Amino acid sequence: MFLPDDEIVNAVLSFDADKVTEATKKALKEGQDPVKVVDQLTNALRVVGKKFEEGELFLMHLVAAAEPVQKVIKEILEPEMLKNKTSRTSLGKVVLGTVAGDIHDIGKNIVGAMLFAAGFEVCDTGKDVPAEQFVSKAKEVNANVVGASALLSTTLPIQREIVEKIVATGQRDKVKLIFGGAPATDEWVKEIGGDGYGENAIEAVNVTKKLLKIQS
Amino acid sequence: MVQRGPKSGHLRFLTNDHARDIHVSSLEVLESVGMHCPSAKILEIFDRAGAAVDFKERRVRIPQHLVEESLKKAPKEIVFCGRNAKNDILLEDSRVYFGMGGTPVPYIRDVENGEMRRPTKEDMNQATRLGDALPNIKFIMTVAGAFDVPYEAEYLHEFESLFNNTEKPILYSCPGAYAAKKVLEMAATVVGGMEELKRKPILALYTETVSPLSFSDVNENMIEFAKAGIPVTNGPMPMCGASGPMTLAGTAVVSNAENLAAITLCQLVNPHTPVVYTGWACAIDPRTSRCAYGAPEFGMGTSIFNTTMGRYYDLPTYGFGGCSDSKLPDAQAGAEVMMNGMLAALGGVNLIHDCGYLAGGSIGSMEMVVICNEIAGMILRIVKGVKVDEETLAVDVIKNVGPGGHFMSQKHTLEHLKELYLPVIFDKDSEEGWIKGGKKDVRDVARLRVKEILREHSAEALPRDIQEKLRQIVKEAEKELVKTGSGSGQMSLHHLPPTRPKT
Repeated sequence: MFLPDDEIVNAVLSFDADKVTEATKKALKEGQDPVKVVDQLTNALRVVGKKFEEGELFLMHLVAAAEPVQKVIKEILEPEMLKNKTSRTSLGKVVLGTVAGDIHDIGKNIVGAMLFAAGFEVCDTGKDVPAEQFVSKAKEVNANVVGASALLSTTLPIQREIVEKIVATGQRDKVKLIFGGAPATDEWVKEIGGDGYGENAIEAVNVTKKLLKIQS
Repeated sequence: MVQRGPKSGHLRFLTNDHARDIHVSSLEVLESVGMHCPSAKILEIFDRAGAAVDFKERRVRIPQHLVEESLKKAPKEIVFCGRNAKNDILLEDSRVYFGMGGTPVPYIRDVENGEMRRPTKEDMNQATRLGDALPNIKFIMTVAGAFDVPYEAEYLHEFESLFNNTEKPILYSCPGAYAAKKVLEMAATVVGGMEELKRKPILALYTETVSPLSFSDVNENMIEFAKAGIPVTNGPMPMCGASGPMTLAGTAVVSNAENLAAITLCQLVNPHTPVVYTGWACAIDPRTSRCAYGAPEFGMGTSIFNTTMGRYYDLPTYGFGGCSDSKLPDAQAGAEVMMNGMLAALGGVNLIHDCGYLAGGSIGSMEMVVICNEIAGMILRIVKGVKVDEETLAVDVIKNVGPGGHFMSQKHTLEHLKELYLPVIFDKDSEEGWIKGGKKDVRDVARLRVKEILREHSAEALPRDIQEKLRQIVKEAEKELVKTGSGSGQMSLHHLPPTRPKT
């Protein structure tokens, strides 16, 4: 992936939240288009993702890169874009959450960050989320994808419940359903009638793109 | 007669000053940021005791004095009982015991074909019988799980299996207050009433706070066990760099703080409730984010802090040994198990659990339990150490045999044969013997041993009326749990085909 040697990318790759904020503010001050700045930030995240995939960087790097990027986008760049009435091109809307009875959300958060970096709009419903809430949120935001994470073997069945409720509310042809978490497997997702399983955050992005027929 | 495991504590990485540093740091954490707590019941207990409770924020900040007073109240020793008294074990100081498995596992390695599949209640029965038979396994958890029953009642079915199939002490989970009450009722049924159960605790609770620094509703089970005066073991599992600081010492502070909070809760509910100290700093594999059970830092983080703090507080301890990240009972598994088992034993952990856990606790293996039983035997031999006195120096025997003689027929030799640990499944044969024996790998030998034990050994059956009462309790509780649970009983994992996680 070609990347210009610019301050924003370097700031993200330094894993220093203050530097990311500084570089973002500086770019805006110099008159850069906030949409472009978002692109640079997410490009940098994709580089981190690639390095993670290759085993050069670790999970901590993914999180340490993603959190400050999400923060500056939410707190600095989104208000700017709103002012300019511009927005980033979206590849689609993903509703994400950790299922009811489960409070393990680190994995889900990383998936959210990498989906966002790939260009998706992510609607994070949080943790301990009942199946009904995934379903109603998907309807409310007109989601293309619903993703649910479960870490415990005892909360895994809620993923099945989500599929059943999506079917029952007549949304099955509108949304793709992706599932993950330690006890989930490809076979399990097929068994419950889901569409995709990702073993890690990078694979989750690949699977989502494939399901929505988006070129990587 | 109570078994008194060998005293250990040969290995001391940390000093009492280190222990004090960790203790004081944990007190600071508990007093300043405290514990998140969604359970109103738990918050009320702390509130009544004078802790700083914010009901809106769901936070309890625990003052030092409450913690210190609670530590003083906790008993220094516990006789952890089996339903057969010959299996009772004394937990105190650095006495070492190995136990089978841990909490239920999502997969079991099928003993017939080595494939991974979902475990069933029958696997749970078999695993329990296996642990009951193995001599170096002194307490029972599991390497299976009942995944073919409604998941809301999974733990009750597992307890039914445990009570029926072992006469050894049982350490196990039952999440939440309701399940805890039901399990206590089952245990009381087995021993003949709640008062008798208190005198003869044939089970101890295993539960977990959620790292970092959170109680969950599930932890209301501690209240029920404390009320009944039955031992409580809270095992926080903060992982370095994820749910705890990257440094082992920092993660130990988080873990210790959670433990102190849990111990304080138990003592506030019922002073002198037996508690088992369980301070762990767990390692993470940064590439996969899985808890790295076979990592050297895991061995150190779970045993060294555990025994250092356990001795500092003078409380019984519970730690790890016998677990591996390998997916097979192979060379990696053997190396990792020997490493973490040895660290735990030399440190003097009372209850060393997880024998037979593969894939960081995702796969249970009965062959691995048998291999762990052997490794535990070797470790226990090392823990016993070398005795040096007139008798063992054997100067007269040496003089008597003299240069060029042999010691084979000496009375002293026969009297001291027990100096040697005799392996049961590990191969010491000649090459010839090994070839004649079918060139067996230890995995094959372990598998045959599992099958042999399952053919031959059963725990003494509980009286029929008690078996029936246990079944009734589970049946009624299942109805209640499925009705009020978060999903329907039909969603049990038994719908799953035997699956294999992606490799």
